[in-house]
Amino acid sequence: MKTCIACGMPMKETSDFAMSDTSKDYCIHCAKEDGSMQSFEEKRVGMIDFIIKSQGFDVEAATKIAENNMRKLPAWKSNFK
Amino acid sequence: MSRRVTQKENTRKKIVETAYHLYSLHGFSIATSQIAKEAGVSHGTIFAHFPTVDALLDFLIEDFGHTLAIKIHSLSENGNSIQELLECHIEILSMHESFYRRLISERNLLSENAQLTFADIQAMIAYHFNTVFERDIINQSIKKIPVHMLFNTWMGLIHYYLLNKEFFSPNDLLLTRYKEELISTFLELIRQ
Repeated sequence: MKTCIACGMPMKETSDFAMSDTSKDYCIHCAKEDGSMQSFEEKRVGMIDFIIKSQGFDVEAATKIAENNMRKLPAWKSNFK
Repeated sequence: MSRRVTQKENTRKKIVETAYHLYSLHGFSIATSQIAKEAGVSHGTIFAHFPTVDALLDFLIEDFGHTLAIKIHSLSENGNSIQELLECHIEILSMHESFYRRLISERNLLSENAQLTFADIQAMIAYHFNTVFERDIINQSIKKIPVHMLFNTWMGLIHYYLLNKEFFSPNDLLLTRYKEELISTFLELIRQ
């Protein structure tokens, strides 16, 4: 099973893929409206906001968690070198 | 694949399985020499596969998170009810109850990196809950409570039981024993 290179989500169904295109390496949540992949900064801010919204964490802690997650993902690894 | 590579992989697998078992049983402060002894390898062999104890723990937590992600993603389909999601969450945690209890009770013994990896696992779980909570708030089947408080109330409930397992269920798996009561109570609290 493919996993999204930008957030790590397993992509099982066709609808999990960006634009329902199974040749894409990123998921529907990491795509912009035009189907292209979100930028590093867009994804970083999106992840931080989502952690705060879904778990109520402090912004500093949410930033650490989001960046730690991104550091391990193929799409963003190079941003942390 | 050469025999030597296969043997190396088998040794790594044995170390990982033994470490998971012993950490679950005795906690994260157990010595690597004991893991080596139980796995039937020399102490140095562990460090040939994992340069530090933190690397071994980080690998175990990441591997646990990966298993969880795949299971919850395949079990929690889009049309699922909250009840089905709660059942799915408890079912997955039941399979790893002892290890999970160590993660929540001994988190401070872990490296910062390993703690963040665990936080990442919880964020993934929160994502699935968030999707279902938002849908059910819109269709007015559950109360309009901020999604993070719904999630934290559920997590608080199951963590309280897990952290006090010796009082609630000293001899049996706790989540299996209290599954129905925890789910029905939580649903009773949040339903409109």
